[in-house]
Amino acid sequence: MNKVRSWIIGILLALGAIAVIVPIGVLFLSSFKTKASVFVISLAPDTFTIHSIVQALTPGLLHALLNSLIVSTAVTVVAMFLHAMAGYALARFDFPFKRATFVVILGSLMIPMTSILVPLYMVVRLMNMTNTMAGLIVPLLFNAYGIFLFRQFYFDFPKELEEAAELDGSGRFGTFLRIVLPLSRPVIVPLTVAFFLGTWNNYLWPLVVNQDKRFETVQVYLANQISGYNTPWNVVIASAAISVIPVFVLFFFLQRQLREGISTTGIK
Amino acid sequence: MGTSQGNARRRRESWAAALFIGPDLIGLVVFVLLPILFAVYVSFFGWNLISPMKFIGLANYRRLATDSDWWLSMGRTLQFAFIYVPVLFAISLGLAVAFTKLTGRTSAGLRSAYLLPFAVTSVIASTLWMFLYQEKTGYLNAFLNLLGIPDQPFIGSPAQAMVSVVVVVLWINLGYTSMLFFSAIRQIPASLLEAARLDGANGWKTFWGITFPLIRPTSVFVVVTSTIASFQILDIILVMTRGGPANATQVGVLYIYKRSFDQLQMGYGSALSVVMFVILLVISLIQLRFTRRNNLEG
Repeated sequence: MNKVRSWIIGILLALGAIAVIVPIGVLFLSSFKTKASVFVISLAPDTFTIHSIVQALTPGLLHALLNSLIVSTAVTVVAMFLHAMAGYALARFDFPFKRATFVVILGSLMIPMTSILVPLYMVVRLMNMTNTMAGLIVPLLFNAYGIFLFRQFYFDFPKELEEAAELDGSGRFGTFLRIVLPLSRPVIVPLTVAFFLGTWNNYLWPLVVNQDKRFETVQVYLANQISGYNTPWNVVIASAAISVIPVFVLFFFLQRQLREGISTTGIK
Repeated sequence: MGTSQGNARRRRESWAAALFIGPDLIGLVVFVLLPILFAVYVSFFGWNLISPMKFIGLANYRRLATDSDWWLSMGRTLQFAFIYVPVLFAISLGLAVAFTKLTGRTSAGLRSAYLLPFAVTSVIASTLWMFLYQEKTGYLNAFLNLLGIPDQPFIGSPAQAMVSVVVVVLWINLGYTSMLFFSAIRQIPASLLEAARLDGANGWKTFWGITFPLIRPTSVFVVVTSTIASFQILDIILVMTRGGPANATQVGVLYIYKRSFDQLQMGYGSALSVVMFVILLVISLIQLRFTRRNNLEG
């Protein structure tokens, strides 16, 4: 009886999963079709061609992919350092205005980027950072979630290791860099995925802050292609498929950590 | 240890803390808190980014109070939330319960499958679904035709556009939200469920009597975060419909975006941003209240 029921549940869930995955399959299969066949539902191999993919691989797309890679990597690496240090200080050090500092961080946790899009643009513009790499990167670094997760992690971190290092004459920063940071993998991995994907996927901020073609990110490139009206669908779909590959690679390699990351931290 | 030595130690620790936390704190103040204060300031001015700012007092706020386009947009935001939040909640909770009925590997594989669209960016998801939604030639209409249903306009018609956009956002977030429910359900002690079964409660009764009350913190979290997300939905709409057709998908944040960046009404855009910000703050505070109460109970 129970076995029958779990079979039924399994089959229903599998059908749902197929419905969820089919659009992704369509994305990749359609990239191997031509302008004429892109709307024809068929898995027949004779209609398969890499023509659309070749057409999609313009210097513009490659340049946009490179820009996205630079921006996402820079944001992820710098953010990990900043947030690990801040989280460590909150968990370990005693200092004046600690409560006030914590309140500022807690407050900024409740402010999603979209709600400050307009004012953030104005501030970044006042700082003459529009149409620069710095303007694309710096405002995306400051995310209170990262600080919180590191703080939580360091609360449970064994103090003995640091004390031993400090007895060996290591300064606080040295101890942090050599002992603490390398042992922070459990929190760094899910946060790296979250920051990298979050930045790679970000469309609004690059759209608003940058009009310079040299710094165009891949999401803006793709969106421009759609609204351009004259790009044929086979090329649009092929470009989309190409630009989703880096994310999928990351996703496949880290899916277990990502699943666990969601379970333990609740972060994206 | 002498007092002077203790003081010196404390001073050193304060310096270290400043060094460790300073960069992040400055960043948060400049790029998160300062913009809000600046928005409040600019909202009292007329400003198009080019000519000098002109002080106009509360004129922007008086204008938004009677701006029917703005309130219509906020209505669209509510419409989105009223469709999105309950559907997301029900389906992802159902999925999570179903996942727990399966054994290890099957369950993990299926969970990964549902999570897959989460790795697709919002621009690519929009592109892909625009392609699927195409009238006459699109795959979705071809599928409907197979079932004997005539072609549907989807994002091409004011009546269907909003639901069509909601479907895309659901597609992206279902797997993620069901994971949140899944891990909450798994944390319920097995002994509780066992006791309920021994008392003769069936699956349905156990769910409503034990599981659902015990995952309340997660339920509140999901409702609040998805409501806030509903108020923030901009990128997908910007790509798929730009608010059309006939303003059917022109939500609040899109209206703010258009006023600010298309028409360069930064003063008015700031006033609208401030109002939107207050609304989101209220929702967040409600969440904080709920989670506090849950912590006390738990």
